[in-house]
Amino acid sequence: MQEQLAFQIPDAKPTPLTYQSAIQKYEVVMDRSKCTMCGACMETCPEFIGSATIDYEAFKKPDGYLRIVNTKSSCVGLKCQRCVKACPTGALSVTLNPGYVALGDRRWTADLILSTWEQAQTGNLSKKHEYRIGDSEGGFDKIRFSFELAEEKGLEVKLPSEEDFDTSIVLNRRDDERPRIEIPIPVYGADMSFGSVSLNVMLARAEAAKAWGSFTSTGEGGYPDELIPYKDHVITQVATGHFGVNAETIKRTRIVVLKYAQGAKPGLGGHLLADKVTSEVAKIREVVPHTSLFSPFPFHNVYSVEDHYRHVQLMKDINPRALVSVKVSTPVDVDMVAIGSYYAGANILQIDGGFGGTGAAPDIAKKNIAMPVEYAIPIVHNYLVREGVRDEIVVMASGGIRTAYDVAKAIALGADGAVIGTAELVALGCKRCENCERGRGCPSGIATTDPILMLSINPERGAQRIINMYRSWRKQWGYILTRLGLESIRELRPRDEVRFRKGRFNHLVHLGHLR
Amino acid sequence: MKTKFERYHIEVKEAPSKIKLPPEFTIKRYNNCLNVQECVQACIYEAHKIHDDGQIANPIEDLCRGCHLCALACPKGAISVGINPKFAELGNSYFNPERIETIYFEAETGRVPVSGTGYRGAFSGKGFDGIWLDFSEIVRPTRDGIHGREYISTAVDLGKRLPYLKFDGNGNMLSDPPRTLEIPIPIILDAPLGSSFSRNLQIALAKAANRLNSFAIVGAKEFSPELAAYKANLIPRIDSREIGEFNDLVKTSRIIEVDAEEDEGQESLKEIRESNPSALVSLRFPFDGKSGERAGDFARAGADIIHFYADEATVERNPDTIVNAIRFTHSYLVDRGIRDEVTFISSGGIAEAAHVPKSIILGADAVSIGLAYQIALGCNVCYGDKHAGDCPMMVKNEDVELAAQRIVNLIGSWKDQLLEVLGGMGLREVRRQRGEMGRAMFYEDLEAKVFGDGE
Repeated sequence: MQEQLAFQIPDAKPTPLTYQSAIQKYEVVMDRSKCTMCGACMETCPEFIGSATIDYEAFKKPDGYLRIVNTKSSCVGLKCQRCVKACPTGALSVTLNPGYVALGDRRWTADLILSTWEQAQTGNLSKKHEYRIGDSEGGFDKIRFSFELAEEKGLEVKLPSEEDFDTSIVLNRRDDERPRIEIPIPVYGADMSFGSVSLNVMLARAEAAKAWGSFTSTGEGGYPDELIPYKDHVITQVATGHFGVNAETIKRTRIVVLKYAQGAKPGLGGHLLADKVTSEVAKIREVVPHTSLFSPFPFHNVYSVEDHYRHVQLMKDINPRALVSVKVSTPVDVDMVAIGSYYAGANILQIDGGFGGTGAAPDIAKKNIAMPVEYAIPIVHNYLVREGVRDEIVVMASGGIRTAYDVAKAIALGADGAVIGTAELVALGCKRCENCERGRGCPSGIATTDPILMLSINPERGAQRIINMYRSWRKQWGYILTRLGLESIRELRPRDEVRFRKGRFNHLVHLGHLR
Repeated sequence: MKTKFERYHIEVKEAPSKIKLPPEFTIKRYNNCLNVQECVQACIYEAHKIHDDGQIANPIEDLCRGCHLCALACPKGAISVGINPKFAELGNSYFNPERIETIYFEAETGRVPVSGTGYRGAFSGKGFDGIWLDFSEIVRPTRDGIHGREYISTAVDLGKRLPYLKFDGNGNMLSDPPRTLEIPIPIILDAPLGSSFSRNLQIALAKAANRLNSFAIVGAKEFSPELAAYKANLIPRIDSREIGEFNDLVKTSRIIEVDAEEDEGQESLKEIRESNPSALVSLRFPFDGKSGERAGDFARAGADIIHFYADEATVERNPDTIVNAIRFTHSYLVDRGIRDEVTFISSGGIAEAAHVPKSIILGADAVSIGLAYQIALGCNVCYGDKHAGDCPMMVKNEDVELAAQRIVNLIGSWKDQLLEVLGGMGLREVRRQRGEMGRAMFYEDLEAKVFGDGE
């Protein structure tokens, strides 16, 4: 049995986004020329139409189309249509809101964004929106847990008591006298630099990491002093630009991550556009303000496994108590990279798949270089099992892991846990509009250093929203474990090689290969 | 002859199109707007503005970046930001709106498209979309190409390379010296035949080829006198039955391309060799089920270059066609030990920068592009349905200098993106990428390996 640390699950407190409206999935449109003002619709749907605000100016006109607006409540949608049926003259129609259609993308659908917002607001599963999968037609979106196939649509999800299952993982499995750090949830926060995101965002993430007893990471932009109070929950990243990296920040941390590659731009260096290099950013990074910063690729002191070994040992020498995580992306021979990192002495191997997030990356790299993490996890896992070292190294998956179900699937495919970036930002209010790097930066004040825009994110509210999201995620992991008859998320990771047969493996089903 | 080394550089500069693409988003303001102007505060792109009389103005959709903040900020829920149907209708399923928008950006700025957040599209897809490229990590050094600290060559050779040299007893070489031409970028431009291509645009194309130091293939029948200045960068394209009619062109060109659909190439080769023994001869043929055999025949018959193409409508119907055709043709030549005796140019399905390295990794030496640069000039991918004579979109761009610059910008941007890929793979020249299929990952292979019935 693993020793459970005394740990209190943080409270979920209702924390809505500060917007005045919501993007609703459906809208009800009325053809004014047909409406006889009988009120049947208001009677049949008191929740939405009955309590809607009426636009009298428009209503007074005898024709035209009117949108029924209710900022407090939302229409149930195409399944319901009670109002349409109730209207004697056929004046009403229920359609998808064009704003909903335009929101999101194939990987992060509008439903995923809205459901993540909902979870971040309430700490509970989303009732209205799909919260498990996106629409990318591959990878996690084609993989299901076997029990999901049997589940009826709209099945009432019964959640187990939150004390009845264990979602903790240990981040060090080597016999190296370094601490066996245990985190109560199988995730920690991804590397995001000061400069690519604002200080408020970093503080929100750090506060949430502290509440959950997990971690967040500095990214490559140095270690702002404001994060020092959270130092037990902040990973120091050492990347190729060495911006703001020094012995002090490495000594301060419990985990050092050596970033060899990033999934969104594998094989390419980091790139912070000049607009974002404000004087504060420049100071922490020890560079000239308002110049584009290129982080080279690769580490020019690491061109062999022997160099790699020395590099990992260097970190271990600087900080004798820290764990060393090696962050790599997914080339053809990702399995060889993994075994190399094991022999170099890494405690954690983070494999960052090609679909990972970024503050700015060339579009050609995001789509076309490196394999998706769904393939890389079982390839690495199987190889480490075959080499007999799987139980000595912790494998964390990242790059395109969006939901609690994605995390669980990644673990069932062979990872120990996952590293979460974009989902935390979506919890803060990101809409994935792709404008992180343009001009003043993120319009939502997340991926920006603009002194006015960054005020949109309040660190306390933001932290609570991230805490809430993970609370909801933990409930989902509990549900999955219960359905599978497991007690701990550690049991979800396969012991042996991952081998699909007829589209099935252990608890997983791949719809594309199902026979 | 070049006497000193010069780093290949493509001069890009702003070249805004005269044809504007429809904005991607449309902003609807419904009639329950109360003029509270929260949207004006919320929008950092200034798409929402106020009239002088204090009333809210119609949203400027061109400035909208789709962040939905106005819709969220409106206390009355009176705004929604939707996808503009005119934008969604652009192009076709292959040359889709996103690709067209990207080509416009590249042609306008010459820069590498960069954006925030991760990849947004489908997991995989048909054709080139089902391929992921390898990169180097830890043990294989990458090269730092695009930021200029290490030089990566994008040059390729057109023409035969000899498998070995023959010498007599006295050490004199008996083999004919190989005739090759080096182009600094593995991309040549291909002009459509017929009247859809106006004379001005032909000049623009020739200018662009000249500035890129590459080649443009232009139909011999459409050769206009104004093209004479750019002759060194033009490849006349001649029907195999009409070679005799263009003897002057044949005599004065460095490369001649023959539409070899009617014969197997031997006759044409003989005819051209007699007239101009030093010219390289390219045989052009559509990809088909026999492309491998035909490539072998052409190579053995003595062609310097084979240029296989798939027309864009075929690729749109099944994008796998082009991937399979390139792989098969390359493998066929390799298997018979004659791969280096002919240069293999592929065209078709090149809709974005990534398709250039992907074509090359599948086995092509170089690519020729058509529709991509035509889109940069305003083509709306109607496949000629909508213009009996001059293409209505392209005529508007008749500013020769602008059109030439847009083509140069497009290729300049693609070259930088090629460098990103080569740098990531740790390759010092694009020649070494040809046929390196082990450094590409195919969707089907990975699916079979991981989720199929075991390795």
